[in-house]
Amino acid sequence: MKIKKRWKVFFLINGKRRSLTIEPHWTLLEVLRDQLGLTGTKKGCDRAECGSCTVLLEREPVYSCQVLAVQARGQRITTIEGLTRNGKLHPVQQSFIDHDGVQCGFCTPGFVLTASAFLDRTRRPTPDQVKQALSGNICRCNAYVKIIESVLSASKRGKRIRD
Amino acid sequence: MHPFRYAEPESVAEACRFLKRQGTSAMPIAGGTDLLSEIKDGVAKPESVLNLKRLPSLAHIREQDGALRIGGMTTLSQLQVYPVLRRNFRIIEEALSTLATPQIRAVGTVAGNLCQRPRCLYYRHPLFLCAKKGGTTCFALDGDSRYHAILQNDLCPMVHPSDLAPAFIALEAQVLLAGPEEKRLLPLEEFFLLPGQNLSRETVLKPGEILVEVRVPKPKAGTRGTYLKFRERGAGDFALVSAACSGRVLRGTVAELRLVLGGVAPIPFRARQAEEMLMGQRPKKEFFAAAAQAVLAAATPLSGNRYKIEAARTLMVRAMQAVLK
Amino acid sequence: MREEVAEAALDLIQVEYEILPAFFDPMQAMKPDAFSIHPGGNIAGGKPIVLERGSVEEGFAQAERTFEGTYTTQVHCAAGMEPRVALAQWDGDFLTVWKSSRGIHMLDRPALARGLGIPAQQVRVICPAMGGGFGSKDETRMGTLTALLARKCGKPVRMEYTRQEEFVAGRTRHPSITHLKVGIGRNGEITAIHARTIMSKGAYMSSGSAVIRRCGQGALYLYQTPNAKFEGTLVYTNVPPAGSYRALGAPQGQFALEVHMDKIAEALGLNPLEFRRRHHVKPEGQPGRRLTPPGELVSDQPVEGGIPFSSNRLSECVRLGSRAMGWQRRWRPPNSSPGPKKRGLGMALGLYRGGLAQKAGAEVEARLDGSVEIRVGTIDVGEGAFTTLLQIGAEALEIEPARVTILGGDTATTPEAPVTSGSSTTFSMGTAVQQAAATLKERILDRVCAQLGADRENVKWNKGAIQMNRPTKKTVAWKQALALLSPEERRVRLAIQPGSTEFVINSFAAHFAEVEVDTETGKVAVVKYVAAHDSGRIVNPAAAQNQVEGGVMQMLGYALTEELLVDPKTGIPLNGNFLEHKVPVIVDLPPLKTIFVNAPDPAGPFGAKALGEPPSIPVAPAISNAIYNAIGIRFQDLPITPGKILDQLPLKGRG
Repeated sequence: MKIKKRWKVFFLINGKRRSLTIEPHWTLLEVLRDQLGLTGTKKGCDRAECGSCTVLLEREPVYSCQVLAVQARGQRITTIEGLTRNGKLHPVQQSFIDHDGVQCGFCTPGFVLTASAFLDRTRRPTPDQVKQALSGNICRCNAYVKIIESVLSASKRGKRIRD
Repeated sequence: MHPFRYAEPESVAEACRFLKRQGTSAMPIAGGTDLLSEIKDGVAKPESVLNLKRLPSLAHIREQDGALRIGGMTTLSQLQVYPVLRRNFRIIEEALSTLATPQIRAVGTVAGNLCQRPRCLYYRHPLFLCAKKGGTTCFALDGDSRYHAILQNDLCPMVHPSDLAPAFIALEAQVLLAGPEEKRLLPLEEFFLLPGQNLSRETVLKPGEILVEVRVPKPKAGTRGTYLKFRERGAGDFALVSAACSGRVLRGTVAELRLVLGGVAPIPFRARQAEEMLMGQRPKKEFFAAAAQAVLAAATPLSGNRYKIEAARTLMVRAMQAVLK
Repeated sequence: MREEVAEAALDLIQVEYEILPAFFDPMQAMKPDAFSIHPGGNIAGGKPIVLERGSVEEGFAQAERTFEGTYTTQVHCAAGMEPRVALAQWDGDFLTVWKSSRGIHMLDRPALARGLGIPAQQVRVICPAMGGGFGSKDETRMGTLTALLARKCGKPVRMEYTRQEEFVAGRTRHPSITHLKVGIGRNGEITAIHARTIMSKGAYMSSGSAVIRRCGQGALYLYQTPNAKFEGTLVYTNVPPAGSYRALGAPQGQFALEVHMDKIAEALGLNPLEFRRRHHVKPEGQPGRRLTPPGELVSDQPVEGGIPFSSNRLSECVRLGSRAMGWQRRWRPPNSSPGPKKRGLGMALGLYRGGLAQKAGAEVEARLDGSVEIRVGTIDVGEGAFTTLLQIGAEALEIEPARVTILGGDTATTPEAPVTSGSSTTFSMGTAVQQAAATLKERILDRVCAQLGADRENVKWNKGAIQMNRPTKKTVAWKQALALLSPEERRVRLAIQPGSTEFVINSFAAHFAEVEVDTETGKVAVVKYVAAHDSGRIVNPAAAQNQVEGGVMQMLGYALTEELLVDPKTGIPLNGNFLEHKVPVIVDLPPLKTIFVNAPDPAGPFGAKALGEPPSIPVAPAISNAIYNAIGIRFQDLPITPGKILDQLPLKGRG
């Protein structure tokens, strides 16, 4: 067993293999923002409380501020930058725009990612299921009414959200 | 965050040996949500961190003769979707649905939930060197005590924050601990320590020992269970008070009852007095109230948490009403 | 350099402290012999502010009954999702600072110039998109600190608050103690309202005088009375510094007022709705004599009477809101419902300044490619100001919004603009944008008419294209028309002074809450909420709904769960995080109905009035009144936690 201060790792980020050397105490959030320049992932609390840093790890939403990057090595990670395909917005992104599910926008990447993972698993959710699924994301502008509308509307687009 | 070294053991045995050798300078990490908060807040300062989460042997859920065997590194979200839960282990399912947030359940583990450290505002605060952290004073005893214990709270009024622990104990779960030399199996109820037994730690884990499995026996036919959690926010919040209850009524009288409270004591609090009073009785609301009253007669509330007595009474009665019918 | 290196370096700094007496309670701090936190005593400004219309002494002499009560509110944190941040970079003697801000032109730029001893022309401040301001990101110190550090080390320096620092060293909502006395005359009329408020300020001044001033406005103006008085005392203490936060002191003052009025209604045997209908201020304003000289701008936070409102649809708010709640049909006397879970209805009114008269500038430029750029020196604090201003500009030009872009938040490229405060951006900046756009449109029309030899009456503006009917039928396309103007003519920059010399411009709200109180756990569930608002004409309905829904939800936290806890012995804040401050989450959202009266105000741009802050004002009293209606117990101290409710209920286990 090796006990190391530096780790050479790779991640599969938004479909691309990214290799780099990291230190064990760097969080996944720090690596995404500071090493890889993926600043769509936001640091709101750094304590796994607010959800602004949510990314998908193996398609499940996690708080990247409270996951050691080294623990996620070799895994598939989706950030908000990876949702847009060929310049076309993801249906959940489009729905947040259409329904004003945004005020200041800081929490939005986290909400969109959490919602997209949820809609991958749940075809026709009830409003209550949407609330439960998004209960780990805080919007201090409290745009919750329109966030729920956005997610419900995206779910009604009738086709699978992601391939 | 304060830097540390990091290692990934190949086996449980290797992990145990390493942890024993390193003593308190090494800490195991699983989901990390609790440990990393402690490191960032300066409460924990490990020199090295040992990742148990990649040990495949610890991430299982199995049924054996109807009993459930849950690997310590099983994530809470894996457990939550395990099909048999809804049928036979309702309490666990209910506890999980109230626990933390989807993002935390995705990485948090069963062992991590049972081994998490207290949420006491003073303990978690870098500016208070409280008795639990090696200081001489408990600041909560005459400070802000609204979230603290009402029972067994003389030395350190922390409350045990786990939702799963009361649920498991109500189901008579056992835990399997692996150490460098041997494994041992004990009731989960005996896993937790009161501050009087050890002020700085909350469990019986010895240096080098890790929690590898939880074993939950299959409830007898006719057993019902529920987990009630009272909290301020609708999600992502720890319990002010919670109650896990498992019981069975046979031919009109209580044949089996286990009632465990969270949020009221430094350990998951087994309300044995209530259990004993009700055994063999007809399940009636007056008896439930009397039994709850007997449990709470021992309460020693602090200046800010008297309300927890009434809340605990309510949850006990409601839990028993839901289960014993 | 990585942050952790900077943090490790900070840990090496040894600070020597001289231990001085400290106060966490304003009542202790304001005692005459108390140790002075700053020279000059602990009462900011040395004395309370006192505002009076008529004479409350005479009013109480005429009263048949008087009602008194004391109300307290907690320390409450704005906690925008993005912690405050600043980045400073020097280029020779020129400084650029990127930062969270409330006002780049009027706050940060002058403060930086003053603090660093350089001319303002050498300072550029940029506030890009910001993660939630709520009025609280108003301090300028981070800009100055980073600029000093950057000058010292010759490199750009960034400073960012941790979440805990954001809670503790950001600016909080002032905690308050308000004592109210109201006199009721023989015919049930209000003869006098006297409010006295003490606010704990923390150790530093930040928007404090405006906060306490606004705390008094409800008592002075929401209910019709010839005699009203407000005394506000701002006290230095050693708790985290308070500052401006959405609606400043209005939520505190109107919490006290609206719970108090509920009590009076009951004592008079009136339904709370009927009492308010009779006594709330009407379109003609307060009785009394106008003191503002004719021709001068009227304050939108007046004390004097005798001045009508530009518009006041509070009666409509009450009518529409109560109907949506089913108040008449469903209201029952307090503590009527059987069983352990009891339901109740509560309501509260709110009034707020509707169009702060701040001088505002805007620039509108049409380019030859047909695009239009609006330049504003204001910022978007996260409420969507830029979208609304863009809409106003497009509407004034009568062109597709898709052709218009907006540039803001940069002192180098935009005209001077006021601080984002008092919910005034739509009103002040909107007026400036509207007039600049309208001026540009007139210029284009004039030039095209001159070119074609047409009279203005014979041309029609159609989405930027100009259609001439006489002498011949002809259409000049938008781009063709623009080509007729010089670059200077295609750019309009102007500054306006909004406001009214004739009217008080105010916004109004009536909120209605239905709660269910679990009397065995003390848990309050909000089961239905209706917010009815008069903010003039609604410019952007979706954004406006978001403002109301967001304001209500934020203040449900204020009413029920949120508080910055301070250790009673040391004064150390204990819960500087989202979890323990108990910020509401999405599952706490009640069914929420928003109603806009949507009647244009004659003074505002396209009839708009202020909206951002008003939704935060009536929430806590509406909830407290609903809880009273449910269980018959008054809660005059926020937040109304399960612990407080259980402590007040007659408990089963007590002897």
